[in-house]
Amino acid sequence: MDVIKWFGNLDRRWLYALLLFVVVTPLISPLGIPVDVTEATAQFVAAVEKLNPGDRMLLVFDYSIGGGPDVDPQAQIVLAHALSKGVRVVEVAFVDTGLNYALKSIEKWEKAGKVYGEDILLLGYAAGGETAISAFAQDIAQVFPTDIRGNPLTSYPIMQGIKTAGDFDFIAEFATGIPGPAEWIRQVVTRYNVPLGCGVVAVMGPQNVPYLQSGQLVGLLGGGLKSAAEYEIAVGMPGPATAAMDAQSLGHIVVVLFVVAGNLLFFVERKEQKAKKRG
Amino acid sequence: MDLAAAKVWAGALCTFAIYSFLWKENRFFRAFQNLYVGLAAGYSLVVAFNTLKRQAWGPLTEAGETSVVIPMLLGVLLFTRLSKQYGWIARYPMALLMGIGSALSMKAIESDFVRQIQASIISLKAPGIGGVFNNLVLSLGTAFALVYFFFTFKPNKASQIAGRLGRWVLMLCFGAAFGSAVQGRLSLLISQMQFLLRDWLKIIS
Repeated sequence: MDVIKWFGNLDRRWLYALLLFVVVTPLISPLGIPVDVTEATAQFVAAVEKLNPGDRMLLVFDYSIGGGPDVDPQAQIVLAHALSKGVRVVEVAFVDTGLNYALKSIEKWEKAGKVYGEDILLLGYAAGGETAISAFAQDIAQVFPTDIRGNPLTSYPIMQGIKTAGDFDFIAEFATGIPGPAEWIRQVVTRYNVPLGCGVVAVMGPQNVPYLQSGQLVGLLGGGLKSAAEYEIAVGMPGPATAAMDAQSLGHIVVVLFVVAGNLLFFVERKEQKAKKRG
Repeated sequence: MDLAAAKVWAGALCTFAIYSFLWKENRFFRAFQNLYVGLAAGYSLVVAFNTLKRQAWGPLTEAGETSVVIPMLLGVLLFTRLSKQYGWIARYPMALLMGIGSALSMKAIESDFVRQIQASIISLKAPGIGGVFNNLVLSLGTAFALVYFFFTFKPNKASQIAGRLGRWVLMLCFGAAFGSAVQGRLSLLISQMQFLLRDWLKIIS
């Protein structure tokens, strides 16, 4: 009982220190805890694998800085996978901070030898959330008369023949809130029936599973960083997400242990209070 | 020190300042919190300005597209809310926004209602025991959760039990959401530690 009481009075900063320790240690010396690829991730990978060289993918950066560490690794690995297959990628953002991530990715892939306007393109950011998505889906040039560099869309080979969202062969949307999968399904999938795969922050994962089960999504990366690691492993391109999995597993063990201990403490204290009332 | 190194040092300083809150509330934390709010507001302002310039002002002045004047004017009218005398004018663009929003949401009838009901009507004849079990959980879980929200009639014994089971289904759902939230928060910590160890201390590659 004394141990439990001592635990109950433990300064929460010890928990932070322990969590920091179990997160940092495996980052420095990895343990190699295996990561299984879930069905939802495998479906996403299969959907991208189906694309042929020259096909066009729309990559949507609808994420904030706060959720970036969870979702950006997903977007980066999907982009790397698509480009490695010769798929051409058009990027767009309907969340202002998403534009920053899109700009970084364009810079990175241009340095890697991809040709802007042929292999990859950034349309820019459009304000208006779901309304803007609906307008974009109907007529891309109406929302984006020019790309982020100020040139007309018709001047780029990658945009030839693309008028609506339905002209893309695949849409990959990454979100941390609204707009997110629900808005894209409502405004794009329902109308154009274009294959849509989504990546979201872990907390949004469970609420989007019904869309996957109903077939409205062809793939879902619903586990945040864990899904990114699964994707990296599935396509044989291990990256930062895979490296973070040991830390995440150990961190979860610590959190679970403290949740169990906290509940035990709750029941012990309640029992003691009842005994005091009786006595 | 070059610009890239200065950026990394600034990032490390910001990380320590924000995490110092875990030790206790302090001025260092508050200063950087305010800095973050200011930066975020500044960033949004710049992006909004550039977007207006590229998608409205540019087409109007360079391509002579007069149709963009209407949304621009409606946008300006929203600012009349700042005036006590002319605040009522803002109701018109606001009403238009609400109307468009409501109209667009109508598509949810198909995407979130009809399609989800269709997806819930599934056969129990699935490959393997696991498949049958999954479909059974999905069907019964949906039914029980719906029964929990039946408030308009006096419940009998069967609906009480179904409602109680429905509450358990909801609890499991909340548990999954909470677990996912913990996972997401850990990802933020890990990402920041990777930044410190890789870019700042150069301990890992």
